[in-house]
Amino acid sequence: MTEHENIVYLDYAASTPVDAQVLEAMTALMTADGNYANPSSTHRAGRRSVEYIAHAAGQLAGLLNTAADRLIWTSGATESDNLAILGAARFRQAKGRHVISMRTEHKAVTDPISVLEKHGFDVTWLDPEPNGLLDIASLESALRDDTQLVSIMHMNNETGVIQDIEKIAAACHERDVLFHVDAAQSVGKLPIDLAALPVDLMSMTAHKVYGPKGIGALYIADRPGVHVDPLLYGGGQQRGLRPGTLPAQQIIGFGMAAEIAQSRMNDDLKHLVALRDKFWSGIRDIPGVLLNGTIEHGFPGILNVSVDDIEGESLLLALEPLCVATGSACNSKSQAPSYVLRALGKSDELAQSAIRFSFGRPTRAQDIELAVDLYRSAIARLRGMAPEHAA
Amino acid sequence: MSSDPYSAHVRQLFGAPAHAGRLASPLRASIEAQGVRIRLSAEVDNNEVRAMRFEAWGCPHVIAAAEEVCASFEGKPVSGLLGISAADLMQSLSVPVEKTGRILVVEDAVRLLGSVVRDASNPDD
Repeated sequence: MTEHENIVYLDYAASTPVDAQVLEAMTALMTADGNYANPSSTHRAGRRSVEYIAHAAGQLAGLLNTAADRLIWTSGATESDNLAILGAARFRQAKGRHVISMRTEHKAVTDPISVLEKHGFDVTWLDPEPNGLLDIASLESALRDDTQLVSIMHMNNETGVIQDIEKIAAACHERDVLFHVDAAQSVGKLPIDLAALPVDLMSMTAHKVYGPKGIGALYIADRPGVHVDPLLYGGGQQRGLRPGTLPAQQIIGFGMAAEIAQSRMNDDLKHLVALRDKFWSGIRDIPGVLLNGTIEHGFPGILNVSVDDIEGESLLLALEPLCVATGSACNSKSQAPSYVLRALGKSDELAQSAIRFSFGRPTRAQDIELAVDLYRSAIARLRGMAPEHAA
Repeated sequence: MSSDPYSAHVRQLFGAPAHAGRLASPLRASIEAQGVRIRLSAEVDNNEVRAMRFEAWGCPHVIAAAEEVCASFEGKPVSGLLGISAADLMQSLSVPVEKTGRILVVEDAVRLLGSVVRDASNPDD
C-alpha cells in the first residue's frame, strides 16, 4: 500500500487535486508539441499563447459573469490580496487613510493591512457575531469620511461561514468606500455574479477549485475610482499592474478549472451538502461537541468542530490517517489557538480542540463513515486516558 | 511548510500506551500545570516498582512521556523515581524545546510519586 493509499484526505479547503481535464490542457501546452511560447513574444507562436490566455480569461470571466479584461493574473490569492489592499491603499490615500476589516480574515489580508497600520493608516478590526457573521450595523458605524477601503472575505477558510457581501458592498458604496473581497474559498464553489454584485476588488486562486497551484487572479471593477497601484515593476505586462511573463500553462489550467466548476457547481453543492449532513449527524451527539460557525450560513464543504475537554494536538494525531486541519496554528513551534475561533468567542481550550473537516468532489460516503468512526473513537480514547481535574 | 513533529518512538508510545489507566494502589501523584494534567499510580513491593500506570491530558509528547516513564520504571528500584530527568525524556522522545515546560510537569509528577512511595515506606521519617 502506498502512502497515498493510506490516507483519507478531508482537507479540501486547504487545497484540491488538479482535475484530469485541467492537467491534460496544461500539459498539452508545455511540451515541444504544444504552445509553450512566451506570450509577450510577437511571433506567431507567441500570439497563439496570447489567444490561449485570452480564452482562459474568458472561461474565468464566464464563471464570474464579468469581462475578461477586468482580471489580472497573479501567483495566487495571497498576491491578489496584497495587490488589492496595498495597491488600493496607495492609489487612494488622498481619499483617506482609514481601512476596515474583520478579525477573522485570512493572514493574507490581515498582514498587508498590518503593514498599512505600520505606515500610519488607521485600521478598524471588526469583531464577528458568535456565529462568525458580520453585523452590517457594526460596519456601518465604523465607516468614516476618511475610510478608503473595506476588506471582508466571502467564505471563511476555517469555518466556512459565508458573509453577505452584497449588503456589505452596498454599505461601502453608499459612502464611496472601496470594497475588496477575498474570495479564495468561494470562487468556483458558490455562484458569484460580478455584473450584479457591486464588489470593487476580488481575490481568487485556482488550487482551491481543482486547478493548479501558483496561479490566481484579482478582479478590478470597471468603475470610476477603482484602481490599484502595482506592487511589482518591469516588463509592463497586464497594463503594468502585474508585470512578469504570464505562466500560460497555469492560466490555461485556471481557465479550464473555472469552466468545469461552472458546469458542475450545482452537482458539487448537492454532493457536499449530503457529505456534510452525513458527517454532522454522525458526530453531533458526542457530549461536548460544538459546531464553530453556522450550518445555515455555512458552506457545506467545511465543517469546523470543537469538543470539550480534549487536547487538540492529541486529537489530531489520534485521527490519523485522516488528513484534516487543526483549529490551532499547531506545529512544534506554535501551539497558539486559532485567532479566528478566538474572535468567535471560543475559549483557548475549545479553539485548540477545533478540527476543520473539509470535503471535495472525490470525497465518498465511506470516507465520511471512516471519519465519523475515527473521530468518535479518538475522543473516547483520549477521554478514557485523561484524569479528572484536580480538586 | 511542515515536517513530522513526532518521532517514530513518540508515535508508537502514543498509539499504543500499554500503561494507560489507574491502579487501585494508594500510591498516587497528580499534577495539573502548563496545560497538562497527569496522574500516576504505582504498586510497590520490596522497594521495587511492580506496576505503574498513568492518566494524562496533554499533547502527544506528554502522553508518550507518561507511557515511557511507566514502562521504564516497572521492575526498577523505587529510588529511581526521585532521580528522573526531564532532559533524558526530552532526548529520548525528541521533544521540541518549546514543550520543555510540559515535560517538566511529567518529571514533577514522577518525583512526587517517588516521594509518596518513600513516605509510605518510611512512615516514621
